[in-house]
Amino acid sequence: MIATLDRTLVGVPEMREAADVDWRVMNDQAQAEPDARAQFEEQALPFMDQLYAAAMRMTRNPADAADLVQETFVKAFASWKTFTQGTNLKAWLYRILTNAYINTYRKKQREPYQGTIDELEDWQLGGAESTTATSSRSAEAEAIDRMPASVVKDALQSIPEDFRLAVYLADVEGFAYQEIADIMKTPIGTVMSRLHRGRRMLRDLLSDYASERGIDTAPSKDRGRKTAASRSTK
Amino acid sequence: MTDCGCDKARRDLEEYLRNEVCKTRHSDIAEHLEHCVECRDEALVARTLTEVVARACKETAPEELRDQVIARLLEAQATH
Repeated sequence: MIATLDRTLVGVPEMREAADVDWRVMNDQAQAEPDARAQFEEQALPFMDQLYAAAMRMTRNPADAADLVQETFVKAFASWKTFTQGTNLKAWLYRILTNAYINTYRKKQREPYQGTIDELEDWQLGGAESTTATSSRSAEAEAIDRMPASVVKDALQSIPEDFRLAVYLADVEGFAYQEIADIMKTPIGTVMSRLHRGRRMLRDLLSDYASERGIDTAPSKDRGRKTAASRSTK
Repeated sequence: MTDCGCDKARRDLEEYLRNEVCKTRHSDIAEHLEHCVECRDEALVARTLTEVVARACKETAPEELRDQVIARLLEAQATH
């Protein structure tokens, strides 16, 4: 548009001089902010699907997930100046998303925060070691592999929130332990424990689902422990 | 390179599979997995679980969300 105008002004020297001044003033005023926004949109918006997927696992419904994603982008844009170019943008956005969820969103939810879960003993959650027989382990892997997405999401939804988040950030997003620790603001040891326990619960829930449908993945002596594990998550 | 045995392999399996730091050397776990079918199957279950969760959690944000976000950003910019 500027180029077009410039061309039409060629041959009208007295007008052109005035126009040059005007353009420069307008550009100076308008440039800084739209550039920041354009840069933000270009770099941050491609993460929308991922942030939405995470928000879905946090809020459990599409409307709230959309609200949370909007809030995340607005907050991220407001502090865009503090983001150091070249550092991990995805982790930065997830930190804002998780913060927004914990600080503003979760307070509105009726369900109480399951913050004491870390204090539960291992036996209350099911052992860390599987007693599943060797021969059935490959069958277990196969059964888990064939699990419908809806069942996996339901299982993930039913484990305690902090465990769910740790599993999500590690398994879906592939964040390193240190990055998860930064996002969840917890020590690395807590991340590891939440991840291990969360995955153990998930595995038990999925194996239970499979065996309830006649897909044998574990010997019967294993059942009692699994039932205890799933009961304590409810 | 030495085989670390089942106990250490099981304890540090998650960290090994994620390339995280752990108490057992990665090469020792790798050697153990080469020789032990049980632990190899355990690793298969662990990897499968990760794949299945990642697959199940894929979402596409609704079309209108992108427009709403862009509108909110313009709004935020205007009130600066």
